[in-house]
Amino acid sequence: MHTGGAYGALVSHDTHPCTPEAIVPATSPGSGPRPPVPPPPPVSAGSDAPAPTDVGPHLRPGLDDRERELAPAIVTAWRISAALGWLLPGLVLTVLGFVLTDGWGWLVLAAVAALVVFSVVFYPGLRYRRWRWQLTELAIELRFGVLVRTQETVPYFRIQQIDITAGPVDRLLGLASLQVTSASASGSATLPGIAADHAPEVRAELLARAAAAVGEHPGDLRDAV
Amino acid sequence: MPSEPGLGRLPPPPPPPRPGGTTTSPSDRAPGATTPPGPEDFSQPRRLHPASVLLGVPLAQAVQAVIFPVVATLAAPPLFTIIALVGFALLGLIVRTVDWRLRTFSFDGEVLRVDDGILSRNHRSLDVSRIQQVEIQRGAVQRIFGLAAIRVETAGSASEPEVDLRVLPEADAVALRAAVRVSQGRLTGRDIGGSAAQGESTAPDEAGVEVLRVPLGHVIIAALTGARLLVLPAVLAGALQFIGNQVGPFVDRYVEQYLDRLIELGIAGEAPSFSGPDWRLVALGVGGALALTMVAAVVVGVLRDGNFRIRRVDEDLHISRGLLSTRDSVVPLRRVQLVEIRRNWARRALGYTTVRIRSAGGSAGGEGRVTVPLLPNTEVDRLLGHLLPNVDGVPALHAHPPAALRRALFRWLRPAALLLVAAYLLPEVLGVLDTEPVRTVQPYLLLLLPTNAVLAVVEYRQLAHGATPLVVAARSGALSISTVIAPVVKVQALTSRRSLFQRRLGLTTLHAHVAGPGAVVTVLDAGRADAADLHERLAEHAASPIPVVPETGADATDAASQTSGPPAGHT
Repeated sequence: MHTGGAYGALVSHDTHPCTPEAIVPATSPGSGPRPPVPPPPPVSAGSDAPAPTDVGPHLRPGLDDRERELAPAIVTAWRISAALGWLLPGLVLTVLGFVLTDGWGWLVLAAVAALVVFSVVFYPGLRYRRWRWQLTELAIELRFGVLVRTQETVPYFRIQQIDITAGPVDRLLGLASLQVTSASASGSATLPGIAADHAPEVRAELLARAAAAVGEHPGDLRDAV
Repeated sequence: MPSEPGLGRLPPPPPPPRPGGTTTSPSDRAPGATTPPGPEDFSQPRRLHPASVLLGVPLAQAVQAVIFPVVATLAAPPLFTIIALVGFALLGLIVRTVDWRLRTFSFDGEVLRVDDGILSRNHRSLDVSRIQQVEIQRGAVQRIFGLAAIRVETAGSASEPEVDLRVLPEADAVALRAAVRVSQGRLTGRDIGGSAAQGESTAPDEAGVEVLRVPLGHVIIAALTGARLLVLPAVLAGALQFIGNQVGPFVDRYVEQYLDRLIELGIAGEAPSFSGPDWRLVALGVGGALALTMVAAVVVGVLRDGNFRIRRVDEDLHISRGLLSTRDSVVPLRRVQLVEIRRNWARRALGYTTVRIRSAGGSAGGEGRVTVPLLPNTEVDRLLGHLLPNVDGVPALHAHPPAALRRALFRWLRPAALLLVAAYLLPEVLGVLDTEPVRTVQPYLLLLLPTNAVLAVVEYRQLAHGATPLVVAARSGALSISTVIAPVVKVQALTSRRSLFQRRLGLTTLHAHVAGPGAVVTVLDAGRADAADLHERLAEHAASPIPVVPETGADATDAASQTSGPPAGHT
């Protein structure tokens, strides 16, 4: 039967001969922006699905399946956005505290200040330490969250669209975020901070894996919806 | 890759490996399945029926077109209002006519094309393989003239249907739908070719196997136990108040005049004075309003859901409903994304349930267009077997660990406690709130604590989930209990969440996302190991899907036996 068999073949190809070190210069995870990777061999991504036999280990560009961190610059981006985000609510709360209550205004101000310090100074670091992403055999997996730990899995086969976006702060810091969308509106995964020059490579890799995963399946099974 | 399984059936031409999203070339067409020429040939662009100038206007737009001039000229004399109305109507008529002339559609067997727009032109092409659901809708007026509207939905997340052709001659609508079905069948390698299509176009309501018919009595019970019973009083009250405001002054004036004349004539004494409410009258009023509401609910429910039928034609579900204006949807079985079984307390007490069938169509939410109004509990498993082939009934559900009870209590008591704290503390801090109403409400808020605690226990007892190689199911809810079942093949992505509190208790909430707005199976507060295991298994299935709807019989059993266990009770 095609599904099981062909898939098994892919897995064995993927895990054994394609050792990451052979292709990507080894970098310890999270040791700053990734050095430029040698240009990957031409990948037929997206439009035409290569036959499963063509998807040999040697034609795949290398992004191994180890756990990765975000680019450290994202911490600065989070700090800036937290500070901007707290500006207006903090001001309104403080003013309200002084106007509406008699004598409790300083308490409100202290509480707001504590919250701002926590969310600007401490929280981004905690958040960064919790962030991991990984390209496994079957799916892109994200693990993140300080208070609420979240694990998101989007299988390559279900990928419908990949967007790279970069806001003004992101561009200043050389960051980009990569959104992987499935056919479900709620089931999309966003990688918030990867190095901007690294993003196209990740996208190409994801597209290649998506195309290969679709190529595994016969006929109408290819339609993921 | 192993060869296509060639079985006893007519071997369809194996679909060549084709990139997703692009169209097949005409040479792929199966021989003998060409669309018959004549009135059913949609390959040339054609316009809608001329009546669409008037009948194609959505109700909301028509209401707006009347209300806007009326409101805008409220202060002006009535003549002005009439002129404005006529002017608006004329302008609308011209725009609609131009719009009708410029709106064309065509279907060449692979792509449905719609061109429309007056100032900015809009060309849409819809590949037949992307179509999720086709619905034919006949309004009351449309039925008189033998017209119908056809809506085509894809797996977008927009709130509107992708293509909405209002209105066509009914025969054309049926033929177009048949043509779409034939093309879809050809794409998936099934043979529902010429004969079936022609049979359908001549006798559209007789083909196929009847899966379900909801008797009138059940529709009435559904109307009386549904949520609409709660909404209708508000609507009725609003309408009555509106009428009262318009008519009231005149009535008052006439009653006054009449009383004055009676007093003048010496028949009556002083005008009756108002002395407190007459409780009998109040009871009568409330009783009357209740009865009126129930009658209105039944009438609306019967008109909407009367004659509800589900038929299965080949691999498609045909769902039709409605007495005055009818709706007739076609959902391919392989597009069923989610089945939700929902029981509110009234229906649970009577032993009934409602079933909602979701495809990935964008506008499937809201009104719940494919909702079985009422079904006896005993029928649920049989219906599920038809909706999700090879699945016989709700899978065995496992209760969640006792720690989930603590979380349920926390979840229900937290808002109540916050409200209490706010009610007792805020008046101390903010002088503004220290008023009589707040003081009187305070003791009643204490009642929330026991009520919510009971609801939390009820919710915990309902929490459960289960998974077979073919479907994943989860149950939750306290007042209205819903069981959501999705085919494992349709799971697109997975999310597991563990909050601080959940981590202490060893619990995880798992979301399995399927296509369609808000379509998700939520396993609330499962045990951590259970949830992790389910997450992994579902992710694996999502990465290498196995069809729930078999292409051929042997293929399905083959596929099912590849998974960890055989599908329960099916050969």
